[in-house]
Amino acid sequence: MKSILTHQLFRRFITAAAVLAVVAVMTGPAGSTEAPTAGFTGSFSERSSFFGFFETVRWVPFLFLALVFFGVWTLWLSRGAQIKSGVSQVMQVPRAATQRRPVRWGIGVVLLFVALILPHVINDPFWQAAMVEQIAVYVLLAIGLNVVVGFAGLLDLGFVAFYAIGAYVTAWVTGALPTPPLFGIHMDPFFAIPIAIVIVMVAGIVLGVPTLRLRGDYLAIVTLGFGEIITIFANNLYGITGGSQGTSLIPHFSLHIGPIKYVWGLAPVPYYYLTLVFVVIFLLAFSLLEHSRVGRAWTAIREDEVAAESVGINPLKYKVMAFAIGASTAGFAGVVTASQSNNIFPSSFSLAFSINILVLVIFGGMGSIFGVVLGALLIQTGSMYLLHSPPAGYQSSDLYIYLGALLVVMMIFRPAGLVPSRRRRREIVLSEAGEGHMNEVLTGDQP
Amino acid sequence: MSSDRIFDVESVTLRFGGVVSLNDVSLHQNRGEILAVIGPNGAGKTSLFNSLTGVYQPQEGSITFLGRDSKPISIIGKKAHRVSSAGVARTFQASRMFSALTAFENVKIGAESHKGIGVLGAMLKGPATRRGEKTSDLKTAQLLDFVGLTDKANIVSASLSYGDRRRLEIARGLATDPQVLLLDEPAAGTNPSEKVQLTELIRKVRDVMGVSILLIEHDMKLVMSLAERLYVLNFGSVIAQGTPAEIRANDAVIEAYLGSSADQTKGA
Amino acid sequence: MGGFGHYLASHLVTMRKEFWFLFVGGVANGFLYGMVAVGYTLVYGVLRLINFAHSEIFMSGGFAGYFVMKALIGTSSPNGFATVYLIIIGIVAGGVVGAVVATLLERVAYRPLRKRNAPKLAYLISAIGASYFLFNMAGKEFGRYSISVPQPYINHTVFTIFGAPVQLYYIVILIAGVIMLLGLDRVVATTKLGRSIRAVAQDAETASLMGVNIDRTIALTFIVGGALGGAAGFLFGLGTGVVYTMGFTPALKAFTAAVLGGIGNLRGAMIGGLLLGVAESLSVVFVQAAYIDVVAFGILVAVLLFRPTGILGERLGRAA
Repeated sequence: MKSILTHQLFRRFITAAAVLAVVAVMTGPAGSTEAPTAGFTGSFSERSSFFGFFETVRWVPFLFLALVFFGVWTLWLSRGAQIKSGVSQVMQVPRAATQRRPVRWGIGVVLLFVALILPHVINDPFWQAAMVEQIAVYVLLAIGLNVVVGFAGLLDLGFVAFYAIGAYVTAWVTGALPTPPLFGIHMDPFFAIPIAIVIVMVAGIVLGVPTLRLRGDYLAIVTLGFGEIITIFANNLYGITGGSQGTSLIPHFSLHIGPIKYVWGLAPVPYYYLTLVFVVIFLLAFSLLEHSRVGRAWTAIREDEVAAESVGINPLKYKVMAFAIGASTAGFAGVVTASQSNNIFPSSFSLAFSINILVLVIFGGMGSIFGVVLGALLIQTGSMYLLHSPPAGYQSSDLYIYLGALLVVMMIFRPAGLVPSRRRRREIVLSEAGEGHMNEVLTGDQP
Repeated sequence: MSSDRIFDVESVTLRFGGVVSLNDVSLHQNRGEILAVIGPNGAGKTSLFNSLTGVYQPQEGSITFLGRDSKPISIIGKKAHRVSSAGVARTFQASRMFSALTAFENVKIGAESHKGIGVLGAMLKGPATRRGEKTSDLKTAQLLDFVGLTDKANIVSASLSYGDRRRLEIARGLATDPQVLLLDEPAAGTNPSEKVQLTELIRKVRDVMGVSILLIEHDMKLVMSLAERLYVLNFGSVIAQGTPAEIRANDAVIEAYLGSSADQTKGA
Repeated sequence: MGGFGHYLASHLVTMRKEFWFLFVGGVANGFLYGMVAVGYTLVYGVLRLINFAHSEIFMSGGFAGYFVMKALIGTSSPNGFATVYLIIIGIVAGGVVGAVVATLLERVAYRPLRKRNAPKLAYLISAIGASYFLFNMAGKEFGRYSISVPQPYINHTVFTIFGAPVQLYYIVILIAGVIMLLGLDRVVATTKLGRSIRAVAQDAETASLMGVNIDRTIALTFIVGGALGGAAGFLFGLGTGVVYTMGFTPALKAFTAAVLGGIGNLRGAMIGGLLLGVAESLSVVFVQAAYIDVVAFGILVAVLLFRPTGILGERLGRAA
C-alpha cells in the first residue's frame, strides 16, 4: 500500500503548490536586510484584490491558482496527447499556409504597415520612447544575437561588449569623448554607423579567432568575461572614455543633402523610423543569409562539426563570420542609442543586458527569425508595461527574476522556443533520442 | 615516387599519450584503385583514416596525397577541411549525417562547401550566387540519382535506413569532387540486399566517376569481392599486403584474425 | 652614495614587506577560490557541464552566514571560545544553505533536462536562468545594497612575516580552508560516496551497470560542492560584506581556478585556486587595482587557449 506522502496525486499537488508559492514570492512585496522575512511573509499575508472581484489575503488567490494548476496538470497527463494532436491538426492549415512564400511576404508587409502607423496610434510619450529605446532597438539586437546563438549555435554572453563599442565609437567620431575624434573632425552620427559596424566586426573577429575554437561552455564564459572587461576599461580609462561619468555630449543624427536639412531631435518618433529602416534591412539580409550557402554551412557545423569539416567547411571561419555579423547589429544599436540619448554611461553596459537579449532569442525560438522578432516584441513590451504601470511590490530590477525563471521554464518545457525553427526543433528531438552529434560540438567530447 | 599513385604513406607513427596507435605504417594507393585496409578491431584502421584526412596529426612519417594534376600535397599538419578541399572525401564508421537536414540539403552542403564564402553575395543573391545555387542543385540532384536516393531527397536524413544513410554519405562525399573516397566500414549495419547494392555502388563510383576508393571493412566477403589490393593492419602495424588471393593464403593474417578476435571473421 | 644605499636597502625592505603582505592576502583568497572551484570541478566530473549557477550557491551561503551572525552576535563583540564556535556555526550555516540551494538547483534546473537527455546548450541556458533568478530574488528579499557581516572576532594582526601583518581573518580562512579541502580530498578518495563520484566521473554508463545510483550520486555531488561553496560564501562575506551580486566575480575567478588546475580534477582545483589567488594579489604591483579582474580573466583565456586541460589535466577519476 502506498503511503499518502508518496502518492503521486499528493506529490503533484505539493509541486503545484510549491510552484505557485514561488510565483507568489516573485510577485510579492520586497524585503530588506533589516526585515529579511518581510518579503516572504508579506507575499502570503498581504491583502490584495482577487482578480478585482474582492479583496483578500494573497495566499487565497495563489492557493486557488495552485488548485487550477494542479487540475490542468492532471488533465494534461491524461488528455495531453489528445490535446496536442488536436492542436497540431487545427494548426496544420495555418502552418502549411505560412510555409508558402506569398503568404510569408504578405504577413511581412502587413506587419511592416502596422509598425509604420504605430507611432500615430500610440501617443503616450512613455510608449513612444519605449518603442525606440526598448523595443525596436532590442528587436534589432535579438535578430543579431540570433545569428550567433540560433544559426551558428554559439552561446555568446558578451553581446553587450559590441553594443558598448558601437556607443563609444559614436561618442568618439562625434567628438564627445576626451580622446580627439577620428580624423580630427566632429562628424555626424550617421558616419558613425559604418565606422561602428566595421570596428565592431573587427572586434568580433579579433575576439572570435582565438576563442571560437573553444568548446561551447568555455566560449560562454570567455565572452561573458569579455563583456565585463569592456565595462572595466570603459569605467577606468578616464582619459579615453570619460570614465564612470561617461559623456553626455553626443549629438543627434542630422541630414544635410543639398537643400534638405533634417535633425533628429529629442522626439523619439523619428528615431523609431530610422531604427525601423535598419531592422528591415537586417531582417531581410539575415533571412536571405539563413537560406544561403552560409546558412547551410552554419547548420552543418552546429549539427556535426566533424562531418562538416570532412566536406570541406572551415568551422572557425564560419563561426567567426557569425560572430562578426551578429555583432554588427549590436554596433548599430549602440550608435542609435548613443545618439538618441546623447549620453553613455559604462554602468548601462552590464551582463544583465546580454542576458536580456539572450532571453529574447531563447524565448522566441533560437534560429527562427520570426520567432525571435515576436519574442523580442512580447518580452520587451511586457517589461515596458511592468515599468509603466508596475503592480504593487514590483521593483524594476525584479524583471530579471522573471527573465531568469523564464529561461529555466523554456528549457524544461519548450527548449526550441515559442515559434521554433524547424531545423532547431528537429535537432533537439534528435539529440534527445541520442541521434546526431550536437553534444560533442558543444563539449568537445570526441569519441 | 611514381606518378600513378594517389596516396603515399611513409613510416607513419601516431601516438596518444603512451599508446601507439599506428606504428611505422607505410602503404600506398594507386590512382583508380580500390584498396582495402583490414584488420581486427583496434588494429588502427580508423586511426589511419583519421590521419589521412587531417583529423589526427601523426608524430612521425609523411603522408603525401597526389591530388588534382598529380601535384603532391603533404597531409600531415593540414586541417581536415583543407584535406577535403584538396580532394579527399570520407565517410564515417557510424555514419555522421547532418541529421536534422534532408538528404538533398546534406549533399548540397558538400557540393557548395568549396566555393568562396562571399557573405554579401550570399545575402544579396546576385546573378553569380543564383547561378552557383543552380549548379549546386543540379549536381546534388545528379548525385542523389547516382546513388539511387532521388525519391528520398526531401526526407530528413535521420529517418533514412542504415543502407540509405551510407549511400547518402557517399553522395555527400562525392559532392566535394574528390580524387579519392575513404569509406569507413560502409557495410556495417546494412542487410544482405543493401550490401549487394552498396558493393555495386562503390564499384560504380570508381568506374563511372573515376574516383579511387580506400576502404575499411570487416565484411570479408565484400572486401574480397571488391578490393583489388589489401593491406592488413594488426596492433598498428602493417603485417601483410597483396591481392585478395594472396591475403587469403597468408599465414600471418590468419594468425592475426584467429589469434586476436576470431569472431571478426565470422562475417566472411 | 651611502644615502642611496640606505634608500635602496629600505626600499627593498618595503618591497619585501609588500610582497608578503600581498602574498598572505593572495593565499587567503586562494583558499576561498579553491573551495568554490572544487564545486565546479565536482559537478563537471559527474555531469560534464559547468554549473553556471554555482555563484548563487556562494551568495546564498554568504547571506546565511550574515543572518546567523546577526542573530547570534547582535551588537556584542565576542572573543576567545565564542569566536571559534561562532565561526563554526557560520560555516555550517553557509554550508547547509549552500547545499540546499545546490540541491534545489539540481532538481529544478538540471534533472528535468537530464531525464530528457537534452543538448548541453540547454543546460547552460537553464543554469544561467537559474542564476539570474536566484540572485535577483535575493536582491528583492534582502535589499540591493552591500552590508557588512557582524564580526565574530575583533580582527587584529596576529603575527607578522617580514614585517607584513597577518590578520586573524586570514588565519580563520586558512584553517577552515585546509580542514575542508583536506576533508573533501579524503571523502572523495576513501569513502563509498567518493568511489561512486569517481566512478560516475569516469564512465557514467558503466558505473550505473555496476550498481552505482547515478541520480543519487549526482545529487550528493551537488550537496558536497554546494556545502563547500556556501561555506566559502560565509567566509568571504565576513571580510567583504554581503550583497546579492557578491557571487559573480569570485565565482568567475573560481571557475578560472578550476580550469587552471584542470577542470574535473579536484586537487587541480585546489592548487589552481591558490595559484590564482596569489597571482592576482601580486599583480597589484604591475597593474592598477581596478584591473585585477582583467588579470584573472587574462589567465583564464591564456589557459583555455594554450593548455585547456590545465596544470594537472582533466581527470576526476584519476587524480583524487
